[in-house]
Amino acid sequence: MERGFPKPRTKEAADPGVGGQGLRRRRLSERKLALLFVTPALGLLALTLLWPLVLAVDLSLRDVRFIGKPGEFVGLANYTDVLGEARFWQSGLRSLIWVAGNAVVQTALALAAALVLHQSFPGVRIARVWVLLTWIVPTVVVVIIWRWLLSNSGGMINPLLVQAGLLEAPVGFFSSRESAMTTLVLINSWRWFPFVTLMILAALTRIPGDLDEAARMDGAGAWQRFRRITWPLLQPTLSVLLVVGTLLSFNVFDIIWLTTAGGPSGGTQTLPVLIYETAFKGYELSRAAAISVLTGLALMGFAIAASRSMTREEGA
Amino acid sequence: MTYKTTSSLTLSILLLGSGSALAQTELMLWHMEQPPHRVERVQELLDAFNAAHPDIVVTQEPQNWGEIYAKAPAALAAGNGPDLLFAIPDFAPILKEIGAVQDVGAFVGALDAKHDLLDSAVASYSYDNGVWAVPLYNMAMSLWYHKGAFEAAGLAVPKTWSEWQAATEKLTADGKYGIGLPASKGLYTDQVVYNFMVNNGASELYNADGTFAFDNPKTAESYAMAAALQKFSPPDSAGWFWGDAEACFASGTCASILQFTTITTYETQGGGDAAKLGVAPIPHADGESQHNTIAYANAVMLLSDDPAKRAAFETFISWLLEPANYGRFLNMEPGLFLPVTADGAKADSFWNDPLVQKYKPQIETMIANSANGMLFGFTNGRTFPSIAPISGQNVLSEVLQAVVIDGVDPAAAVAAGQVRMQDIAQ
Amino acid sequence: MKQSLPLRLLLAVTILFFLLLIGLPFWWVISGSFKLPQEIIAREPTLVPQSFTLQHYAKLLDASAYPTYLVNSLIVGLASSVLTVLLAVPAAYAFFRMELPFREGMYRAILLAYAFPGVIVLIPIYGLFAQLGLVDNLLALIIVNTTFALPFSIWMMRSFLATIPRDLEEAARMDGAPTPVILRRILVPLILPGVAAVGVFAFISSWTEYLFASVLILSDDKRTVPVGFAGIIGQYQIDWGLLLAGASLAILPVVIIFSLVGRAFVSGLTDGAVK
Repeated sequence: MERGFPKPRTKEAADPGVGGQGLRRRRLSERKLALLFVTPALGLLALTLLWPLVLAVDLSLRDVRFIGKPGEFVGLANYTDVLGEARFWQSGLRSLIWVAGNAVVQTALALAAALVLHQSFPGVRIARVWVLLTWIVPTVVVVIIWRWLLSNSGGMINPLLVQAGLLEAPVGFFSSRESAMTTLVLINSWRWFPFVTLMILAALTRIPGDLDEAARMDGAGAWQRFRRITWPLLQPTLSVLLVVGTLLSFNVFDIIWLTTAGGPSGGTQTLPVLIYETAFKGYELSRAAAISVLTGLALMGFAIAASRSMTREEGA
Repeated sequence: MTYKTTSSLTLSILLLGSGSALAQTELMLWHMEQPPHRVERVQELLDAFNAAHPDIVVTQEPQNWGEIYAKAPAALAAGNGPDLLFAIPDFAPILKEIGAVQDVGAFVGALDAKHDLLDSAVASYSYDNGVWAVPLYNMAMSLWYHKGAFEAAGLAVPKTWSEWQAATEKLTADGKYGIGLPASKGLYTDQVVYNFMVNNGASELYNADGTFAFDNPKTAESYAMAAALQKFSPPDSAGWFWGDAEACFASGTCASILQFTTITTYETQGGGDAAKLGVAPIPHADGESQHNTIAYANAVMLLSDDPAKRAAFETFISWLLEPANYGRFLNMEPGLFLPVTADGAKADSFWNDPLVQKYKPQIETMIANSANGMLFGFTNGRTFPSIAPISGQNVLSEVLQAVVIDGVDPAAAVAAGQVRMQDIAQ
Repeated sequence: MKQSLPLRLLLAVTILFFLLLIGLPFWWVISGSFKLPQEIIAREPTLVPQSFTLQHYAKLLDASAYPTYLVNSLIVGLASSVLTVLLAVPAAYAFFRMELPFREGMYRAILLAYAFPGVIVLIPIYGLFAQLGLVDNLLALIIVNTTFALPFSIWMMRSFLATIPRDLEEAARMDGAPTPVILRRILVPLILPGVAAVGVFAFISSWTEYLFASVLILSDDKRTVPVGFAGIIGQYQIDWGLLLAGASLAILPVVIIFSLVGRAFVSGLTDGAVK
């Protein structure tokens, strides 16, 4: 049963004792040890993540415009303001499009790349390493690279597409809402798909080869083998990746901000962009905190619901 | 790297000197002139100043424009902020609200008596019964054009909007564009849009009582004109920042652009034939008579209420504005930063830079244009706190994007823009 | 393994697609960094450089503190990587095998760390670090980067532990070995590829981090590569040659590191599962 990612061990499996006299004492010290093991990690997370989040919640209940100015307690006023604002809902919708677009493009690219890298061909070991090349480039550098490549002054992409007959004349990739969003999704996917590729590749290597071989003996074609064996066995991995990937790509901020700043005409203004802009450009820290808390709660809800349904599926 | 070594040199001198009884005042200067050659020039000046003033040590930490709006208030609140900040007018209201910025009215008065400061530059910082910074270096937009392109088309440089429209249309042919105008979401687009407004008598965002004056037919006309010319810009111009416009101009793809300067880029990437680089005042609406422009008077703000630091600040800035030093300071980016003092505009230290000499006629035009400079939200003493978030969230360019990208009628877009400003202000 | 011809053709086309998708942009950037400025912004871009110059690199290295940025990034990256491993291994083991109150709940809660936009903790973290005197200190970046890498690292580590046959541990335990010894002597050597994978993951996350590094660091000599790179972009002018040289140099160190540990990272993630 233990394939792909670990599932919670059952209580007895976790039980270290083997019975007898020392059981209670052993359990006690084991428990202490376990606490000792998790405390540094959890302590760090509490200090640098949980505590700032508590401060953010506190901030969202006050009237602070920018840091350095104390604010009065205003209760849920910021929340009602934000919920009544069209910009918030529009940004939320765009965030959904952003996440969905990234999920589709990245999964498709990564699945294709992983299936290829799972084959054997000359240089496959090198390819498995260097497929990660785009992932190790700092985001700021990614942004500059693509701004240049897509520009009309010296950019390579436009002439390439024109020569290939895909475009009649050079276009502006960030000149309409739809194409700006599409382009950004592609850039972000270019940056992130290698990592997903590796995760899928890891799961592929965990699929026992004999299953595939048996199906081949039965005369199943490549597509059928993929449909019947590979795809179902990849499901657990893909679901986990989908949840973590959704959280991670939802909160992508720098690529969008540095490329379009949320434009054109709000076309790429996702929630993290709105939060940054509200906090540091609109000087409404408390309101930004309220948007963040709402966003965080929604994402938590999604993550919990998704992991529940996954456990249920696995249990079935 | 050079300035690193010099600064550690200063440090070691400082350490050696610390044994003496000299009481030193330290000033931390932040600025956003981050390109390496500017940092280097500032360091040269600081080294010279520090050497001449053993009781004062000025050190610099260049910052990035991108984060400064988040960083400066946070740093000041936490007590590790700078004493001096070079910034633009937009920044003053924020720092004023957290009580960090000091009134330097008396000092500015004294400097004005000595050097004759540019009135429009001082005006950007004069409101609420105070002067909130000392203007140091000016930037004003002009119409930059390729003389060759205009000559080939048999065109004179446009002076009015109707001439401008006709010229731009004629210049757009064969994969070249008559003008490169941005329609992105950002400060560059804000600035370009405002150029249209000030040349059509729509310079005021606010009325004297703090209500908004943005929504009026003149503003709408200005947007209509900007959008009409924007059609003759490259397809990627809806995503442009400053550098993209310069690249388009330097490569010859754009026959003209609105920019503070193009000199350095033209020199290094565009061939560098000074005789073929044209610069002119920005055309005005047909009914107007004067060429106006957007201008940013960069200034230094004093962020410490310590009297010793104030005294050191005054010594430092007085030294910097001395004509012998001032030109070297402005030429940290030759051909971009313009003098704000009358004696600075004549100083040898300014004009003897090789690049400034080479492009002397262009720079003289730039200085002339800068005299009629204005900045949205900082005109006629009508400055109100809401200008910071309005400028920060680029409302002016949001309105242009509504017209250009979404095809909204200019009058309706301007009306919606005013509603947005009111929302932000309340 | 034999493959049919159409399948092999499909494979070849896909390989070519990915080769171009990943390779072309890098080729353009690196070749562009050696072109003269006029050629970089030319209206008709060139695939093969027509000019050659080192002026952009000379300018970059002469005028900016790029080598300092590189050293800072390496320090922060390596320290974050070590710290992440030191914290993640014991925590993952505890979550995996040990008795702990609310074990599953806590384990799941850790991944929820990614549910909050990083932007929002920026200001509170700045305030916190200011109180601790850590603003403008590389240690602040090490702590922040470790924090962000930790949840995913614990999760990865736990899945590596799951691949170790339980009998090995049981045997040692029967011999009376205490848990820390079992972990250090038996498990860690077995999951070494996994440890490498986690370390590389933390290093790369730290290497590419921009937002916190830009706000928490005030002085130039403590900047990391992404922030230093952003600094040379400039507000009013863009020197594309300088930027392309900067981009190439920002990629080069990780490419070197990756050519050394990349294989361990990949096989750590893939072979680790093959038991």
